[in-house]
Amino acid sequence: MTCREASNLLPLFLDGELDARQMRVVAMHSMRCQTCELELKEMERLQLLVSDSVKKRVNEIDFTQLWPAVERRITDVRIPWWSRLRSRWEEIDLGFDLRLPAMVVATALAVLAFTWYARQPDVTQPLDSQRVAQIDYNSAGYDDASIEEIETTFPSLRVYSDPESKATVLWVTDENTNLEPMP
Amino acid sequence: MSALPPALVGALVTILGAPFAVAAQPLLPQQDGLRSVEISVGVIVANNSQVWLDHRVTAMNPGVNRLFPYSSFRLLNEKRQAVPWGGRVRLKISGRRYVVVVPREIKDGRVLTRIRLIDGKRSLLDTTVSLRDRGTLLVGGPTETDGVLILAIGAATLR
Repeated sequence: MTCREASNLLPLFLDGELDARQMRVVAMHSMRCQTCELELKEMERLQLLVSDSVKKRVNEIDFTQLWPAVERRITDVRIPWWSRLRSRWEEIDLGFDLRLPAMVVATALAVLAFTWYARQPDVTQPLDSQRVAQIDYNSAGYDDASIEEIETTFPSLRVYSDPESKATVLWVTDENTNLEPMP
Repeated sequence: MSALPPALVGALVTILGAPFAVAAQPLLPQQDGLRSVEISVGVIVANNSQVWLDHRVTAMNPGVNRLFPYSSFRLLNEKRQAVPWGGRVRLKISGRRYVVVVPREIKDGRVLTRIRLIDGKRSLLDTTVSLRDRGTLLVGGPTETDGVLILAIGAATLR
């Protein structure tokens, strides 16, 4: 190895970043070459000075409040629910892939939820046929409105048609209704 | 085991569920070129506590005060909404009670409309009415804390 080659490798040698073979070659060369050995010693001295200076500055820093501050921030961190869910998901290991069954179940739930939502107004208690009111169609005309089908749980129901305005009135009576529209 | 992120799961569920959702939706046919129908629902409280006629009530049905033996008519709630055939208009009445109006089809120039009065999940009234275009049906009688309820339900076709 020439001095020029060794000189390029000395900083790496000092930092221990050379592989074993290069380390051995540089060490052998610097033992034999006074110039390179002096250069290496100079580098060591410089490194020591820098290291001492940094250590001195670091020792002046007060780290006593560092961990409490970090700890406070750690406790303040709110982990989103999906991250917690994902973490638990990752902990589960049943020995087989759960993804496909999970997707099928999730899809089925989504479809069920949609079906439930879409049919919600229809989810009414079935009408008790015994309570379906007797309908008085006597006055029901073919005016503004005519009744095609009707089911109700009100005790009574009447259909009126006002000849003057041709308005159709569907009047239900519950327990508390004591007045009826004009006949 | 690698896991799918929740956002991806949600997206996949949506994508996979969309065809089911579309399939579950009823087909909304056009009726004789009539694209939609405007449904109007007014909830009126009538009583004898005072003499009062809300001008919005007479605007909905001019003869309403003559038809019912009450001296006060107050509009509690009102909704006017254009919906496609088969679409639904839902309006809260009071408490758990609400009314659902679904225009089904036009038949002989009249709007076949399903009207449901529901209390929570209990059906109080379920009727299908043939309404004259721009006509109104008055449904009255259910008691309210300070009187009786009168629902004015109208339908007007839109081109």
